[in-house]
Amino acid sequence: MVGDRDTGDRYFEPQVETMSRDLLRARQEERVVELVEYAYGNSAFYRALWDEHGVHPRDIRSLDDFRARIPFITKDMVRAHRARTGDPFGGLLCVPTEELTSVSSSSGTTGDPEFFAEIWEGAPPLVTAQVRDLWELGLRPGDRVLSPPGTFRNLMDPGYQALGAVVIEVDTWLGKMDEVVEALRTYRPAYLQMMYPQMVELEHLAGKTDLKEAFSSLKGASCAGQPLSRKMRERIREDWGIDVYEYTSAADTGTAWECREHDGFHLWEDTVFAECVEVDQHGWRDAAKGDLGELVATDLDNRAAPLIRYRSEDLVRLSRDRCGCGRTHARMWVAGRRGDETLVQGRSVVLRDIWQAVEDQPETVAGVFQIVRNGREVDELRLRVGYDPRLTDDVDALAGRLGEAVRERTGVKPVLDMRTEEDLLKTMTSVAKFPRVVKS
Amino acid sequence: MSRADTLARARTLDRPELAYLVRFPTSDGIRDMELTWAELARDTDWVTARLRDHGLAAGQRALLTTSGFEGFWGHAVIGALRTLKVTYGIAEAMGWDHRRTAVFHRELDPHAVIGLSAETLEGLAGAADIAEMFRSTPVVLARPAAVPVLRGVGVSAALITAVGPALALECPERGGAHVNAAEWRVGVREGQLSVAAGEGRTSLLPETPLGIAGRVITGRCACGSEDPRVLFAEADQSTSSRS
Repeated sequence: MVGDRDTGDRYFEPQVETMSRDLLRARQEERVVELVEYAYGNSAFYRALWDEHGVHPRDIRSLDDFRARIPFITKDMVRAHRARTGDPFGGLLCVPTEELTSVSSSSGTTGDPEFFAEIWEGAPPLVTAQVRDLWELGLRPGDRVLSPPGTFRNLMDPGYQALGAVVIEVDTWLGKMDEVVEALRTYRPAYLQMMYPQMVELEHLAGKTDLKEAFSSLKGASCAGQPLSRKMRERIREDWGIDVYEYTSAADTGTAWECREHDGFHLWEDTVFAECVEVDQHGWRDAAKGDLGELVATDLDNRAAPLIRYRSEDLVRLSRDRCGCGRTHARMWVAGRRGDETLVQGRSVVLRDIWQAVEDQPETVAGVFQIVRNGREVDELRLRVGYDPRLTDDVDALAGRLGEAVRERTGVKPVLDMRTEEDLLKTMTSVAKFPRVVKS
Repeated sequence: MSRADTLARARTLDRPELAYLVRFPTSDGIRDMELTWAELARDTDWVTARLRDHGLAAGQRALLTTSGFEGFWGHAVIGALRTLKVTYGIAEAMGWDHRRTAVFHRELDPHAVIGLSAETLEGLAGAADIAEMFRSTPVVLARPAAVPVLRGVGVSAALITAVGPALALECPERGGAHVNAAEWRVGVREGQLSVAAGEGRTSLLPETPLGIAGRVITGRCACGSEDPRVLFAEADQSTSSRS
């Protein structure tokens, strides 16, 4: 059974992972007060913004002060500073460029990528913040891991190796799943990182190779970039025997992973101060417990270019209740992105409904689709959908069925652009994500 | 309560001597070889010296384009850049990521671009003038198929590539890519390059044909190094012969 392992040494840093909420909050408060002074003194962006809002570090003595006085920032504000000043870091940088170890970036699927300035020893920041998650997954010294598909947020190997894992160099990018399966059989790794399109490719192999046997050495595999559908998740867990751990971005301050309970994404709150808020033209308020709100994040462990009260546009539910795993750090459940909702002649259409309709057709069960739009409000719902050609005799008939299924779920008859899954996945321009909403 | 504490805790673990299992193509299929931490440290020292020869120094910036499965040399290059206190940006070597390479190049104005691939150049060519883009970059270390493209438009590129489990890196003389003689033996049989592990390597690797057309030059290079130099037929092709 997947996930059935000894949990005696479950926590990598037990004193941190299970600390009381009161202590955690006290530490966050201490960090936030220091951070505000540091950022004001060193970042052109924050100094200008806070001056404009009449805020000075001497005003910030508590988390309550911080939340009451420090304004939100958005990606657009940083981009505007970048455009205005020519500073590639958008004014966020708090150290001279020469002090940076490295610079990674966002995927840039919706515009110029944003830079992430990094200072590190031992392993880059993103993967270092995943060490606790990998330990929870079961990774231990001497285990083998397959190299990840890309170097999107820096070379990941040092993080795995910090845990004593040995990296097997295998090209795990698209079109190489035959080789990956062969490597799994040869090297019997404990972990590999996957992404959604690889799952689609594996689905095609499932008929001719015993994937359950191939994956049997894995303690777990991770998957990020977009949520797995219910059907895909069941397929991976039940049919292939993989304990799959999804993870997502912690508003660009790090990542948030599922634990073995698979009940929400844990934020490591010693590295991020997370808020879940509703924002409108009148101001903001905390989302009611259990309600959706926007994730707002503050970096607590980033002296290079910290994000402070950064609006992520991720719509989440947030809970600070202790998890079944015993950890006290908050969990979140991601509902989608602000702005992903499409208004078709005034009617609201959400990704989830389209996804369900696409998955319900055997030929498109992998759920490979995109909404094509130039803005949030459109006159027609244009969908690009990938089908499995081996299962598709009549593309027009499939399009007819699919169009009707989408209409039933959303109330809108779509305009469909049918392509093979392979053709559609080839349009990916990031190892991190397959975009669900595209402009063309 | 920070990433530094996490890594401090990690350092208390009983870690193996192995860092990587390197898989590489040979003329007889894929083969693997162990890479220990001690070997990786020596490889890093060697790359550090080679990059220093290219003039890389503290305060400069570099752009590394690499792939997830190239950590065995990417790790050494990153270690070298860190030793030299050169800040590096990182993008994928795959062609579809050319846009990030372009943005990094434009915004960071790197002193060196390391690992440039023909696929990246192909992607860039649609929207940029390759010659204009890279001619002002003091150090361009490109992969074999990218070298003739760059040289064809007047960019004085040097070569960097894996030779099986070893790294080959051309010096500023641009007379072939050096391979660390203290760690590897490179040779040629019937026009194909071969590699064997030196005595200091943990994993035994007898002379192994790689299925790569090329030749080897021995003797002292004008740069002063006694390391053998590898010339790749692919990198020696003219631009016109590639089209």
